[in-house]
Amino acid sequence: MNDSQPIETATTSIQMPSGAPDAKTRRYDRQLRLWAASGQAALESARILVIPATATTTSILKNLVLPGLGHFTLMDDKVVNGADAGNNFFLDGFKSIGKFRAQEAVNGLMEMNDGVEGVADVRNIQEVLETDKGWLKTFDVVVAHNVDSVILDDLAALLWPDTYLVVVNSAGFLADFSIHYREHQVIESHAETSPSLRIDQAFPALLQYAMSLPLDTMDITDHAHIPYPVILVRALEEWRREREQGASIRLLLSGPSSGRGVPRTTAERKAFKERIRAMMRKFDEENFEEAEAQAFKCWTPTVIPSEVRELFNLHLSSTSSSTTFSSLVSALSQFSQNNPASPQYTSGLLPLTPSLPDMKSSTEEYVKLQKLFRAQSDKEKQVFKEYLSRAQVDVNDATIDQFLKNSHALKVLKGREWKEINPGAKELLAGKLSTHTKETATHLALAAIRKLRAKSVIPSLEHVSSPNDTAMTDILDKDKLKDLLTAEAKSFLPPGVELPEAEWPVASGEVARAPSADLPTTAAFLGGLVAQEVIKMITKQYIPISAGNAASAANDQLGICVVDLVETWTGIL
Amino acid sequence: MTDVQANHDWEGRYYHIDQILDAPGPRTDEGFMAGDGVKDFLRKQSKILVIGAGGLGCEILANLALTGFKDIHVIDMDTIDISNLNRQFLFRPKDVGKSKAIVAAEFIMNRVPGVKVTPYFGKIQDKDDEYYLQFNLVICGLDSVEARRWINATLVNLVDSENPESLKPLIDGGTEGFKGQARVILPTITSCYECSLDMLNKPTAFPICTIANTPRLPEHCIEWASVLEWPRVHGDKKMDTDNPDDITWLYTVAAGRAKEFKIEGVTWSLTQGVVKNIIPAIASTNAIIAASCCNEAFKIATSSAAYLNNYFMLIGIEGIYSYTFEHEKKSNCPVCGGDSVSLSISREMTLEELIDLLTERQDIQIKNPSLSTPTKQLYLRAPPQLEEATRPNMFKKVSELVPDGGEVTVTAGTLPFSLSIDLSFT
Repeated sequence: MNDSQPIETATTSIQMPSGAPDAKTRRYDRQLRLWAASGQAALESARILVIPATATTTSILKNLVLPGLGHFTLMDDKVVNGADAGNNFFLDGFKSIGKFRAQEAVNGLMEMNDGVEGVADVRNIQEVLETDKGWLKTFDVVVAHNVDSVILDDLAALLWPDTYLVVVNSAGFLADFSIHYREHQVIESHAETSPSLRIDQAFPALLQYAMSLPLDTMDITDHAHIPYPVILVRALEEWRREREQGASIRLLLSGPSSGRGVPRTTAERKAFKERIRAMMRKFDEENFEEAEAQAFKCWTPTVIPSEVRELFNLHLSSTSSSTTFSSLVSALSQFSQNNPASPQYTSGLLPLTPSLPDMKSSTEEYVKLQKLFRAQSDKEKQVFKEYLSRAQVDVNDATIDQFLKNSHALKVLKGREWKEINPGAKELLAGKLSTHTKETATHLALAAIRKLRAKSVIPSLEHVSSPNDTAMTDILDKDKLKDLLTAEAKSFLPPGVELPEAEWPVASGEVARAPSADLPTTAAFLGGLVAQEVIKMITKQYIPISAGNAASAANDQLGICVVDLVETWTGIL
Repeated sequence: MTDVQANHDWEGRYYHIDQILDAPGPRTDEGFMAGDGVKDFLRKQSKILVIGAGGLGCEILANLALTGFKDIHVIDMDTIDISNLNRQFLFRPKDVGKSKAIVAAEFIMNRVPGVKVTPYFGKIQDKDDEYYLQFNLVICGLDSVEARRWINATLVNLVDSENPESLKPLIDGGTEGFKGQARVILPTITSCYECSLDMLNKPTAFPICTIANTPRLPEHCIEWASVLEWPRVHGDKKMDTDNPDDITWLYTVAAGRAKEFKIEGVTWSLTQGVVKNIIPAIASTNAIIAASCCNEAFKIATSSAAYLNNYFMLIGIEGIYSYTFEHEKKSNCPVCGGDSVSLSISREMTLEELIDLLTERQDIQIKNPSLSTPTKQLYLRAPPQLEEATRPNMFKKVSELVPDGGEVTVTAGTLPFSLSIDLSFT
C-alpha cells in the first residue's frame, strides 16, 4: 500500500460500508442507548451556569461534562482554601490553594471531555445580578448550591420563567433540591406502558383478516402460528355475534356484530378463556395458550389515558417551543373526536402505533400482522396530519412520528416559581408536615439554615478560611444553633403549627451538627441526582421531578426532592 | 517541601468531614468516639477493598479518597475501552487498552495526596482468604452476577464466630440505565447477595427454534447470526465481541437474514448491543449509587451515624423514586442459611431436565452444575473420565437415581459453595 495516500482517501477507505460507528458514537454508546441522537444533540447545545464552585456543584458538572454538555460557566469569586482543597476532587489538592476556585475547578473538569466548552467566571454573583442581567438570561439552566436566600430571591425573579433555575441545598448528611420552571412538555417519556393493540375495537382490516381464516380446515402448522391478537379478535367477534344473534345461529350465516360488548362477569370471562382453549386443534398450541393468557386485553377497554385526555383541555402556555407541541396536542384532540379511518370506532381513540410486541407466531404471520398494523397506522396518521395542517405550523415528519408513537404517554408537568414556595406556601408546608413528616422536617431545617446563612449568623461556605475561624465557635454551639433553626423553621409555617416532636429534633440536630459541611459523599450523591434531572429537562426525555401534572387540578405538590443519607432515603414533597 | 505538604494533611483539609467526626448527631450510636480516636482509625488504620474499577469503581475510589480512607486496594481484570469514557471519569482517551485498576489507582494517588491505592489487575478468584481477611470493609461495583456471588460466598465463609474481626461488611452497588441499588451486607447477620438472587431480572433468552425457524424481531436475526451462523462458518474460531470486524460480520449476516424475512430494524448498534448484552450506563446513576455505597462505608468505619439497613433501590425514569427497606435473610439460602431447598419434581423428569430446571430457576441460577447424592455421583462435569462415566445418568429418570425425600448436592466450578436440595416426587 502506498504510504503517501492523501488523507481524504485514507479516511474513506477506513470507513467501510459496515455501519460501524465513529469514535464519538462509540464514546457515548452507553448513553445513546438511553436518549438517542436527539437527546445527545439537545445536551450538546445546552448552556448552563453554575454557582459557586463547591464539591457539590463540581460533582453535578462532572456528570454533565462526561456525557457531553455543550457549555458551562462556573461562577465563583473566591480563592481556594484548605477546606476546598480537601473535599473537591476537581481541584488539584493543596496545589490549588490560593488560586481562583472557579478557574481551578474548570481546569479539573475540562480534562474529562474536550468536546465541552467550560468557562470560569470569577465575578461575584451579586455584582453580576446588578450589572449583567441580560447575560444571566442567556443560559438554559442555572444551578445554585447553598446560595443564600437574598441572592436566590433576586436570581429567581430574574430568570423566571425562561431559564430553568435549580436550587440545591445541603448540610452534612441532609440535602434537598428543586427545579423552577413553569411548564415542561415531554413527548419521549420512555413510559413502560405500551400502546393499545385495540383488541376490543379492532380496525376493519384486522377484523376482516381474523374472520377470514378457515380455522378448522387450515394447515395445522399454520394454525399453530396464528398470532394471539388475531385469535383474540376472532374469538371476541364470535362471542359478540353469538350474544347478539343467538348461539344457535351458524356463524357463517350471521352478519357482523355491533362491535360492542365484552365479557364482564367472572363467569363470562372464564367461559371466554375456555372458548379460546376450545379453538385449539392440538393440545400444545402455544399461540392459543398465549391468547388465553392475554385474554384480558379483550375486556381492558382501549381508552385515552386520563392524563392525555386532561391535556386536551389544558390551555397550553405559549412559549416558542410549545407552539408545535400545542398544535400537536390540538390535532390529537380532534383526532380523538373524529377518526374516519376507523369507521366503526370513530371517537375515543389515539392514532394506532405500528409497533407490535413479540408473540408466538411464524415469521410470515407476524410480518403479515405487522403490515396490517402499519397500513392502518399510516391511514390514521394521514387523518392526524390533516388536522395538524389546519394549525398552519410546520412540523416535520420525524417529529410527528415521534409524537404519535408516544401519544399514549405524553406528559406536561408544572413546576413552581421560587417565590411561590420560598417563603410562600405556608399552608402547603403545614399540610405536607402531616403527610410527609420527615421529608418536610428535613426541608424546613435546610431552608432555615439557608436563611441563617443570609443573616450571616453562620458563615456561608465561601467565607470559611480555617476551622479555627472565630465564626466556627458559633457553629459549635449546637444548642444555640438548634434554637435559631427552630425559630426560622416556624417562620415558614402558619402561626400555631407546631414542628413535629420526633422528626424535628432529628432534622435540626443533623443540620446543627454539620451546618456548613459539604461532605464528599453527599456532594457526589447530589451530583448524580441533580445532573440526571438537568439531563431530563434538557433532552425533554424521561420525567423530571415536578409539582404535578400541568393539567391536573391537584395543587399540593411542592416539587422538592429531599435526601437523608443517614437512613439513606429520598423523598418528594 | 514543608511539613504540611509532607504529611498531606494541610490546615482545614478535613473541615467538612470533621464536622461529622467531631460531634455525634441525633442518630449516632452511643459507642461513637468523636474526635481524634475515630479520625485516627479512619485515616491511619482502616484498610478497604474496592472490587471493580469501572463505572461505579471510579466513583467509589474518588469518594473514599476524599472521605479520608488512605489505604485502599482495588481489583479489576478489565482494560479500558473507549465506551467507558462517558462515565469512568478517571480514564482518558490515551488510557484506552490499559488496566483499569492501575490507571485508576495512579489517578487517585496523583489527585488526592497522601492516599495509597494498591491496584491488582486480575480476578478476584486469584486471591485467597488470607488476602480478604486483611480488610475492614469491602465495596463492590461490579456488573457481573457471577463475581458478586463469588465474593459474597467467600466473605460469608470467612466468618469465624470466635473472631469478630473475620466479619467483613460487604457493600454492594449496581446500576442499569436510570436504575440502581446499594446495599449493606453483614455476612451471616443480614441477608446476603445469594438471598436476593430472585430479585434479579430474568435475562432475555430467545428459544432456539424461534431463532432457527420463525424469526420475528431484529434480535432474532442477530442471535441467528451469532449463535448458529458464526460457528457454522468460522468453526472453532472464537467470536471477539470487542472486535468491530466481528460485529460487522454479524451485522451483515443478520441484516441479510432480516431482509429475507422482511424484518426491519437490524442495525450495527443493535447487533453490538445484543451480542455483548450491553446494559446502558450513565455517569449520573453511577454517581448516586457509588456515593451511597461510600457513605455507608464511611458511616460503618466511623460509627458516626446509623447505616443503611439494608437495601436502597432507586428508579430515576419517572421523577426520583427510591425505596429503602430491609431485605430479609433466607433460611434456605445456600450461602448463609442453614436449611436446604425443597424441590418437588415429577417422577418422569430426567436428570438432564432437572439440570435445566436448576439453571433456569431465578433463586438458584446455577450454570453447568455437577450433582451428587451422599452415596453416589449423579453427574460430574470434570474430570473427563468421570464426566463420561456419569453422562448416561443424564437421560435416566431422577426418581430412579435418588430416593423420594433424598438429598442432592449441587456444585458449580464458578461458585465457592454447594446447594443442598431435598427432592420429592409427585
